[in-house]
Formats: sequence, C-alpha cells, structure tokens
Amino acid sequence: MTSSTIEAPRSPRPVARKRRVNWEKWGWLYMRGSGVLLIVLIAAHLFTNLIAGQGGVKAIDFAFVGGKWSNPFWKVWDTLLLWLALIHGSNGMRTIVNDYVSNPKVRKTMLIALLASSVVLLLLGTLVIYTFDPCPAGSLPSDLPSFCPAQ
Amino acid sequence: MSTVLEERPAAADAIQKFTATMMIRRFDPDVDTEPRWQEFSVEMLPTDRVLDALHQIKWEQDGSLTFRRSCAHGVCGSDAMRINGRNRLACKTLMKDLDISKPVYVEAIKGLPLEKDLVVDMEPFFASYREVQPFLQSSSKPEKERLQSAEQRARFDDTTKCILCAACTSSCPVFWTDGQYFGPAAIVNAHRFIFDSRDEASEVRLDILNDKEGVWRCRTTFNCTEACPRGIQVTQAIAEVKAAVLRGRP
Amino acid sequence: MSDIPDSSTAPTRTIDGVHYHQHDIVIVGAGGAGMRAAIQAGAGASTAVISKLYPTRSHTGAAQGGMAAALANVEDDNWEWHTFDTVKGGDYLVDQDAAEILAKEAITAVLELENMGLPFNRTPEGKIDQRRFGGHTSEHGKAPVRRACYAADRTGHMILQTLFQNCVKLGINFFNEFYVLDLIMTEVDGEKRPAGVVAYELSTGELHVFQGKAVIFATGGFGKIYKTTSNAHTLTGDGVGIIWRKGLPLEDMEFFQFHPTGLAGLGILLSEAARGEGAILRNSEGERFMERYAPTIKDLAPRDIVARCMRTEIREGRGAGPNKDYLYLDITHLSPEVIDAKLPDITEFARTYLGVEPYTEPVPVLPTAHYAMGGIPTNVKAEVLSDNTTVVPGLYAAGECACVSVHGSNRLGTNSLLDINVFGKRAGDNAVEYVKTAEFAPLPDDAAEFVKGLIDQVRGATGTERIATLRRELQESMDDNAQVFRTEETLIAVTEKIQELRERFLNISVQDKGKRFNTDLLEAIELGFLLDLAEVVVYSALSRQESRGGHFREDFPKRDDEKWLVHTMAYLSGDAHSADAGDHIKLSTKPVVITNYQPMERKY
Repeated sequence: MTSSTIEAPRSPRPVARKRRVNWEKWGWLYMRGSGVLLIVLIAAHLFTNLIAGQGGVKAIDFAFVGGKWSNPFWKVWDTLLLWLALIHGSNGMRTIVNDYVSNPKVRKTMLIALLASSVVLLLLGTLVIYTFDPCPAGSLPSDLPSFCPAQ
Repeated sequence: MSTVLEERPAAADAIQKFTATMMIRRFDPDVDTEPRWQEFSVEMLPTDRVLDALHQIKWEQDGSLTFRRSCAHGVCGSDAMRINGRNRLACKTLMKDLDISKPVYVEAIKGLPLEKDLVVDMEPFFASYREVQPFLQSSSKPEKERLQSAEQRARFDDTTKCILCAACTSSCPVFWTDGQYFGPAAIVNAHRFIFDSRDEASEVRLDILNDKEGVWRCRTTFNCTEACPRGIQVTQAIAEVKAAVLRGRP
Repeated sequence: MSDIPDSSTAPTRTIDGVHYHQHDIVIVGAGGAGMRAAIQAGAGASTAVISKLYPTRSHTGAAQGGMAAALANVEDDNWEWHTFDTVKGGDYLVDQDAAEILAKEAITAVLELENMGLPFNRTPEGKIDQRRFGGHTSEHGKAPVRRACYAADRTGHMILQTLFQNCVKLGINFFNEFYVLDLIMTEVDGEKRPAGVVAYELSTGELHVFQGKAVIFATGGFGKIYKTTSNAHTLTGDGVGIIWRKGLPLEDMEFFQFHPTGLAGLGILLSEAARGEGAILRNSEGERFMERYAPTIKDLAPRDIVARCMRTEIREGRGAGPNKDYLYLDITHLSPEVIDAKLPDITEFARTYLGVEPYTEPVPVLPTAHYAMGGIPTNVKAEVLSDNTTVVPGLYAAGECACVSVHGSNRLGTNSLLDINVFGKRAGDNAVEYVKTAEFAPLPDDAAEFVKGLIDQVRGATGTERIATLRRELQESMDDNAQVFRTEETLIAVTEKIQELRERFLNISVQDKGKRFNTDLLEAIELGFLLDLAEVVVYSALSRQESRGGHFREDFPKRDDEKWLVHTMAYLSGDAHSADAGDHIKLSTKPVVITNYQPMERKY
C-alpha cells in the first residue's frame, strides 16, 4: 500500500504509447503562431476602437460597429480575431484541464464541454459578422438606429 | 604515537553549534494510512548538511527514520528530497543556508509513489528514462576513437552532468498530475544523445519525444532548472529538443 | 525494446516465502566493475546484476580525475612505461604480469568506452584528450606524462553513466536495492564451488536466492572503516566480508590508500587532476613543500608519498589555520576558464562545503581514506583464489573488492577506473566461457537459512548499544591509530578497541522492527562487516614490520625486501568471535610476481 494522497501517480505508465496524429505539436505551434498574430490584430483593434477617430472611446456605439462591419476589411479582421483568439483560449483551457484534472471522466466531460462551447461560439460569432445588418427589413422603426433609411 | 590533535581540523568549537528544528514527513505503510509530520531537534555545526541532520536523528534519536543516501557530496543522486518546499539534495544543502529560526521541513519528493518516510518508488522514473533510448547508437565500428571536435563535445556537455536524482522530474507540476509525462530528466538524457555528433538515432528519439506526453507538455515553469542540483539548464534543454523536433533534426 | 522484460526478473519459484531465481551468471554489485562485467556477460549468458543501490548511485560515479591509458594522443607514451609506473607506484608489491595486462589492455578499454558513448574531453584534432596525474611518467620516471583520459573532473560519473546506458541497451536484468548477504558454496567433485547468493530485498524484507553457475563479486571497497574518508556511506565492504566469512582468504589488507587532497574536516575528494592541471600544495608559510620531498615530479608524486609529506608538514608545525592542522591546495594561478573547463565539480565542492572560492583562495585539504589496495585475491583471469594458487571454479571478483594485485601497496591515480574496466571485462568474459560447460552446483535445501537467522537475530536485537556509536568509535580509532602513520603501539590500541567493539556489538539495539525499507537493520549488518574487515586490516598491518606504499610503520620506517617482498594472505580460521584476533586470523604470505622490474629504491 502506498499513500493515497496526491503524491502517487494516479495510473501506472502505459507500457507502450499509442502513436497517432500529433495534436500536441501542432497545438504548441499554433499557440505561438496565433499569439504573435493576435498581438497585431488586437493592438489594431483596440487602436481603431478606442483611440483613433473623433471622440475616441466615446464614439463606440451600435452605429460605430455597424459602420465598421459595412467594410469587408474589418469583417475579415474581426473574423480572424475571433477564430484565432477563441481557439487560442480554448486550447489554453484544454492544457489546463489536461494538467490539473486527474479524474479521467471529469477530464473528458470538461474537454467535451469546452469543445462544444468553442464550436458554438465560433459558428455564432462568424454568423453574426457575416449576416450583420444594422437595419433589418421589417423591423419597427423605433427599434432601428437613426441612420437607417426610413422604410 | 597517536596524532589525535592533528586529526581534528578546524576544531569545531562548541560555541559554533546551533540547534535546529526538523519537521519530517513520516510514513510507514504498515502503520500509517496517511503521512504525518514529526518534529525533531538536532545540534548542528555550520558545515553540517541536511543529510547530517537526518543522520543525527536516525543514529541518535529514531533508528526507524528511513531515507536513501550514499556518496554524501552530491554526485550519486540518492537523497533528492523536498526541503522547505524545494527539491534539493540533502547532502548539498547546508543547514546554515536555511532559515533555522523556523523549523526545516523535509519530505519525500512528489509525484512518485511514497514507499516509506523519505523513500519513493523510483521505478516509474527509470521507466521514462529507458524509453528515450539513452545510449549511443552508431553503426560505425572505428578502430580507434571516433573523432569529435571540442565544439561538438561542448554542444551536449551540460546534459551529461545528470545524476538521475529525479529532483527535476518530481518538481514538475505537469508530472505531478498523472505521472504520464516523460519528465525533465528523461528529456535531458535524450538531449545528451540527440546533440551528440556521434549518434545516429536522433530522429528516433525526437519522434519518441514528439508525443502526447513528450516535450510539448512542458509549460516552461522552470521548476526543473531551479531544482537541478547539478546546475543543468533543464528548461533550456527541453526547449532545444522542441526546436529540434520542429526542425526534424538536431 | 529497452524495457527490461518482467519475465526474467520474476522468480522461478517461491518456497516458504523465499524466492528462487536462476541465472547462468550472477553479478553482485552494479558499479563500474559489475556493469562492465554485465556488458560482457549479458551478451553471452543469462545474467542477473544484484546491487544494494540503484546502479547509478554506485561510487564509481564519484571518481573524478581520469582513466590512464598510453594512447599517446598528446605526447609520446607506451604501455610499457605505464607498467613500470604502476609497479614502482605500488612500491614493487605489484604482480608484474597483472600490471602488464592492465597497461596493455588499458588502450582498448578506453577506446571501448569511447565507442560505447563516453564523452571524453577532446584534443584540437578531435582525439581523446589526456592529462598528467600523480606517478605517471615517461621513460621510467624522467618526467610527468599526459596519460589520463578524462571527461572534466567527472570521469567516473561518465563511466558509470555510460556503462549503465549500455546495460539498458542490452536489457540487463538488474535487481536494485537487493542486499547480498551470503554466498552459497557447494562441494562438487571434492572442490567447493559457488552455487549462488542470498539477497535481502530492501523494499519488502523478503529473501531471494539467486542460483548461478558463476558468481562475480564486484562490491567495491570498505572505506567506512575510517572516519575521514572519500568513500560513500554505503561502502561497508559487504562483499569482501562475505568472502572472508566463507573462509576464503583476503590479500594485502594492510594497504589502504589515503588520498592527499580531501576537503579538510569532511574528507570529500578533490581530484589529483587538480595537481595534474598545475595545482600546488602549500604549507602555512606558502611554501611548495613537495619540492623538498620529490624534486623531480613534486606535487605529482604518488599519493602515499604526498599524504605522508603532508602529515609530516603538519607534525613539524607548518600546518595552516588556527590549529595548524591542515594544508592548502592552491589553484589560484590557474585561469577561471581553465578551472571551469577542467575542474568544475571540485571547485564547486570547495564553494559549497567550505565556502572557499578556489579562483582566489587556496582550499584547505587533508589526506582522506580513499581506496583499499587489498581484497579478494584473484588471478589475472579475475578468478578468485582459495589459497596462493588454487582457483575456486566459477567464482570471480573484480574492482576495488578484488586484489589481482595490480596496485601493490599503493595504487596510482587513474588506475582504479582502469582496473574496473579491464578486470571487470575479464571477469565477464571468463564467466561466460565458464558457464558454457559448467553445470549449476546444487543448492542446499536450507540455502537461505543462514541469512534468515542473521536477519531475525539482528532485527530482534534489543540491547543497549547504538549502531552509530559503535561505528563512530571504530572509525575514530582507525583514523587515530591505523591511518597514514602506524606503530605497533597504535595498532595494538586499535586492535583492543575493535575487540571491545565486537563484544559490545553483541548487545546492539535495532529500533526499526519493520520489514519494508529497514535501513536500520542493514546498518547493523554492515557494521558487522566493517568490524570484521577493520580487524583484518589492523592484524595484517601489525604483522608487516616494514614500510611500503600505503603502509607506513614509524617503528619500521624502511622497506624490507628481504623479508617482506611478499603479499599478505589472511584466513579466517576457528571461532570468528574469539577474543584474540590471533585465534581466528591466520596469516601467510604469497610471492610477488616479478617479470621485468627488479625492486629499486623508490625516488621521485
């Protein structure tokens, strides 16, 4: 009998390791690559939203976002930002779960939940960026921002 | 004639002695269900090491205190243990360098199965080591020595210093989780051969370490580098192996 | 692939709680000699290596300076000069046929290690670099020669690691933390042969019987009979002690080497390589005193001479420090770059343990008990002898535990790492040859009985004496009376002390009564071996009324070739516990093999 506290490895080492697609290597590379890109993407994002233009941070409102997304350049920019950051974050979370959650069942559950939420957020976010219409047809005029053409 | 007086160098004056309190995490699998802390008081000289304190306890107070030790000067790697929360060799840690106004806490290294008191099962550690093929593989059969320049030799010098004490691996938080990670020591020993100009199996070892439980699990917390009693730049060695995996060659 | 298959380390059967294993070759000890033998044996026969430690903990790893071989990579050299130096270094008590083999096979031994992967330091051309070492000269003593192949000041570490790596490669079966406590000898066709060994498994407290056709002892030395020693805590001479208790002889036990440069007060070794790289020994006046004693090679004189000179300096009042009781090793004139490249570990020892910065300050040093020249007598095939000439078939010994004798009365620096490789290999090769035709000697039914009794008796000991107290008293008495200088008076004093300690040993207490990792129990058993061996050392020293190599009798300060150009052979006879050592130790002599070099005065 050995101590049942955290000191003991929870499972004996497997005799042979299974060889399969190496997500760890690509994951590791992805974190570094996406990290570098995100610095540029986020810096520019923050600059345009908070500092540039008239009024700086006070200029942000629904109309500001609507205006930005009328430009395809910012659509692509924000899509990149969304995908790179969300996957970066999720992969980081996955690492933490792998490092600190020892119960295999809990670990699997958490990883599946993480994957599911990431996929949902990615799809939803992408959908919003590309289907965003500040002045949807058939809405009540009172719900629409002022710059929408009167219907 | 007897040379008693001559044999006592730097005659240890009684005034130099000091008393220290040792808190030792005891565990006897036949009696205890959980480890327990036990307090001892020891008389120490400034040149005494933590190992001397343990010996004093074992030899003068409680013979059942169990720990591994052999060379007592930091080259055999038997007595890696957690001293005041840091992995160190008991024979390389001088009592005077610790804060003895407080108790000195000594416990077994973490992440390997605790067997008794300060002794852990080293087998999982050596199993990892064996898996990286830690031996020279070369097809040439030279009549004399293989030539190697001083620069080529220096490339892997740092990692040849490893004494397999497990201080690094058992200080690694990733290893603590489930013991599945190869651990710093195995990677260090792979590094020693991957970067040896005489070796021909670097690709094999890089492939072994390009594994789910391989180098990518390293989170660069630097615990291993800090723990290494031989001063090996362990985290750097792991980073060099990562870079070599990406390159596909040393 | 490199994983050791479980099947071969599993016992073949278990009877009454005793596990039985069967291997062609059983190697006891996993230091340099044991693993070098295992590399030969494992390739040719079923082999088990049993060690009381993990192999990489063995004390081979503490060796620092180098391994001698006349490669002539950096300057002119040949194995014949090496032979001469070995013979002269050993004060002509070396068996010259063995020394020739040692020097000749040194060259292949070094190259084999390199081929196995050992990272030697290199010359600018990429060859193995070599450096100077004490007693190694060119042209029979003309000048120091660069003969020691080295890897910084961690040559032993590299050898131990390299041998272990190759054992992993070969899938050698290791039984780690198994204490061999008995050798089983069975009479076959009128002669005694080894049938196997009995080992105590530290982690469980269970007994294992290893049956083998051949048994190789590679158990190292017994420096723990002294207090100030470079030896590990685990060097308690168990293997030599087992052989002794079996009634087999021990050779030249009075010759123990004191290494000149141990850290003062601690005994931790500072390699002779320091002096090989130019370090200088100085007394309190800053004088390079070795110039007076050995004008030709000065600080690079053999260890016995330097240790004696150091003791003399201290006696004559030129010791340094407040109590004038140590000397200095000075490397301050070497550049930090050279020190870091060639002597990194020993400078770190000085910093860690004495708080001295070797770049700028001289390091306090004192002679420290280092190496047993004597041990289990073997021939050049590493076969153990039961008298001056008779071989015990199937029993081999190599390394410090053995006495071939290539070291005579004083071993040259770098010849021990050489010894383990040359004679470890020979032991392995000859054992493989032997088991090809030999049968297993039958095991007695009660093979483990003796060890079982010993363990039960010691574990049950509830006396009043502490093991550590007895051991400390033994070590202090040995340091005071049987160290560099000896006289009849001091040797009798320590004999009486040992006698007293042996009586008190019957009244020891062992506090740990458990089965798992009972190191308390084993320290008691180890003390038993230490007492036995210390007694043989002192008794042999008392009888040798001359001064030669590591054995210096102040009452007989001259070498006496007329009477004492012979090996001492000690036999256990009669009751081992009888009061007077003379009642149970019988001494005889064995002629020294002389081929080319007639004894001459030993001057450096």
